[in-house]
Amino acid sequence: MKKTVEDSRLMRYLDERIRIRALLSFLLDEPMPGGARWAYVFGSMVFFALIMQFVTGVMLAFYYGGTPDHAWDSVNYIDHLRYNSLDVGRLIRGLHYWGASMMVILVGVHLLQVFLWGAYKRPREIMWLVGIVLLGLTMTAAFTGYLLPWDERAYWGTIVGTNMIGLVPVIGPLLKSVIRGGTGLGALTLSHFFTIHTMVLPSLFILFVVFHLVIFRRVGPAGPFRGTPPTLEAQKEFFYPRQVLMDALGMLAVFVIIAGLAVVFPPGLEALANPANSSYNPTPAWYFDWIFELLKMIRPEILGVLGLPALIGIVLIVLPFVDKKPERSPFKRPLAVLATLLVLGAMAGLSVAAEAGYKKLVVLDQRSVLKGKVLFEQSGCLGCHTVMGKGGKIGPDLSEEGLVGHSANWLEVQFVDSSKHFPDSPMPKFSYLKPEQLHDLAQYVSSLGRTGWPDPTK
Amino acid sequence: MRIWAITPWEWFFRFRTRRDGEIQVPFTFQSKGVAMSQEIVFRMGVPIVNASGQEVGTLEKLVFLETEKKITEIVVRDLSGLRRVPLTQVRDITPHSIRLTSSGSLADFPMFDTSQFEEVPLWFYPPDYRIEVGSLMTLKPQDIRLLGESEALSRRDFMAKSTALVATMIGISLVVPIGGYVLAAAKTKLSEHWVTLPVTLDKLPVDEPVAHTFNAVSVSGWMRVPVVRTVWLIRHTGSSDPISEPEDLKLDLDSSLEKKFSSPFLTVFSPVCPHLGCSPQWFADQKLFICPCHHSIYKLNGKRIGGPAPRPMDTLPVRLGKDGSIHILYEEFQVGVPQKIRLS
Repeated sequence: MKKTVEDSRLMRYLDERIRIRALLSFLLDEPMPGGARWAYVFGSMVFFALIMQFVTGVMLAFYYGGTPDHAWDSVNYIDHLRYNSLDVGRLIRGLHYWGASMMVILVGVHLLQVFLWGAYKRPREIMWLVGIVLLGLTMTAAFTGYLLPWDERAYWGTIVGTNMIGLVPVIGPLLKSVIRGGTGLGALTLSHFFTIHTMVLPSLFILFVVFHLVIFRRVGPAGPFRGTPPTLEAQKEFFYPRQVLMDALGMLAVFVIIAGLAVVFPPGLEALANPANSSYNPTPAWYFDWIFELLKMIRPEILGVLGLPALIGIVLIVLPFVDKKPERSPFKRPLAVLATLLVLGAMAGLSVAAEAGYKKLVVLDQRSVLKGKVLFEQSGCLGCHTVMGKGGKIGPDLSEEGLVGHSANWLEVQFVDSSKHFPDSPMPKFSYLKPEQLHDLAQYVSSLGRTGWPDPTK
Repeated sequence: MRIWAITPWEWFFRFRTRRDGEIQVPFTFQSKGVAMSQEIVFRMGVPIVNASGQEVGTLEKLVFLETEKKITEIVVRDLSGLRRVPLTQVRDITPHSIRLTSSGSLADFPMFDTSQFEEVPLWFYPPDYRIEVGSLMTLKPQDIRLLGESEALSRRDFMAKSTALVATMIGISLVVPIGGYVLAAAKTKLSEHWVTLPVTLDKLPVDEPVAHTFNAVSVSGWMRVPVVRTVWLIRHTGSSDPISEPEDLKLDLDSSLEKKFSSPFLTVFSPVCPHLGCSPQWFADQKLFICPCHHSIYKLNGKRIGGPAPRPMDTLPVRLGKDGSIHILYEEFQVGVPQKIRLS
């Protein structure tokens, strides 16, 4: 222990009462054969991302209202919450949103590193299994949290997800109605998902993370995959201070990335969930993209829905029991490395294919949108169309037109000559509009249903 | 089975000591000019024997000079505590005992002061050394002073400080938004929502308070809740009767809003007692407002004549329409203070 730590009066006080020096020594003087390495930081980074999610999640729960009639309003309120002109609500929500994505990535990277280093092999099989449970908990948390804003994206994504659960043989329909709390998605679904997301899963996370860490200390870190026991013992370092510093820098990197994403790409909110909206295109969260694409290729669907997660789960669970070879170096395990590259490549390829298949929404420019809004009101569009409950009933309701996925070009053609798209259309031809006016109008129409919500704090 | 009965950190330490009781140092040991280039084994707890053959203590630690990469002293535990014995005083080192050159006790050797030494981890040393941390210390401060650096920060300390810095940066970057977030909803925006009461002036009795309810919407964050509120309405004849002039006005507690929107024909009181927020009731026989909680007593014009209330009853802004319609602005004030501070 450091000299300064020993001498401090606080340390002496605490040492007498909680024997803190022995405790700190146990935690910090963990022997690591082979020394501190950058490759070991990913576990701590996942843990940090989890703590970030806990903290930001609790903050969100301070202002969240968990019923279908209030969930959207409360999330909109959080998005507009300001303290002395600092957009704190949007920031906290962004941290939680991007923290979720980062955690999925980091869990994957941590799994990959443990796999490549062969650290799942004997005697660490149980630790690996606990890690798989944590992986399952992470994906469940991502799925349940997705529904909570109760906007179109959340609602329809959950409809599809729970429909998939319903395809499981024998118990599927029961499972689906239990999770949904009935037939459709309603108040019970939301309260189920909220409770799972904020009470059940955090408890399970804490339990299994404790298991993971306790087993880790009991069995010891696997260490480098190269080197004989004597040489590794000679290079032995202790957790504090070098690995602690490396871990801290890894956590800082995670924090900077999450905060950067939160500031530059705020999560946004789509229109309030509308069960009657039959034209909405649900798309999954990006980390489910590859399953989404794969399901298109697999017939019957049940094979894809049940078979795929089951297959992955089985492979991951039996891995340490099937792979009994003690060799840990990835350079001497070509099959393992090849399988990894194949799986990663397949996931990446499928995800890219899935994203390419989604209708791309128009990228919005705020100033153009505002100009378009003025133009929309001046051109008398509300005479035939309805937006947010106001307007005429002749043309379709445009409140969520931005979510339909029309390109800016399609919209501009529609304004100038709607008969090109709908031959019998009674819509007048707005050919007097100048090109930049058409652009602004298209921008505004593309923003409907995606942004521009009223500020409830005013 | 014994292992499970002890606490984890004791288990850790016990294993460490038992397993790593040996230290093997492949270096050249010089004693009395005789060079022994073989592996020397320092074993923890090995007896230290003086020249007369008496056992004077046991081996506890080694002192390692970092700059010269040499073990310079051994630390012996005897009955008086820990003593430092320079290696020049050591004649012989075997795995079973260490012989000293002098006879007699260790009383002449200096005591080992833990505060002057620092344990160093393995990576400080060249890879050839197999030395266990915990039994080895380095003479750090003096060592560095030998090199001429007076305020040197050891590598350990630098790492410790860097870790603390990173943790602080993350901590502050989180605490500031979270603090703002928690405080963000604390202040209610002051808005001017005038409410029209469902009663006209002519229907009210003169100089007699009437409690009137009205429907309002309470805005709480993202939710708008319909509520029913009451106010006290007191109609006056308008003549400057001391009984009708509100005490608030007399004591100049009113804000500009209340001063601007007041009428000599109608006084509107908030139903909230300025003491702690209960509802004072009008007792017609005594012509007094009496609060049931702590018995603050007010006269018709809101003046306190008894009880713990810090200020008179709060008047609310009122606008009278030409047809006698009454419009009020429901405000809430901070209780328990002598000033009339509007909260919402």
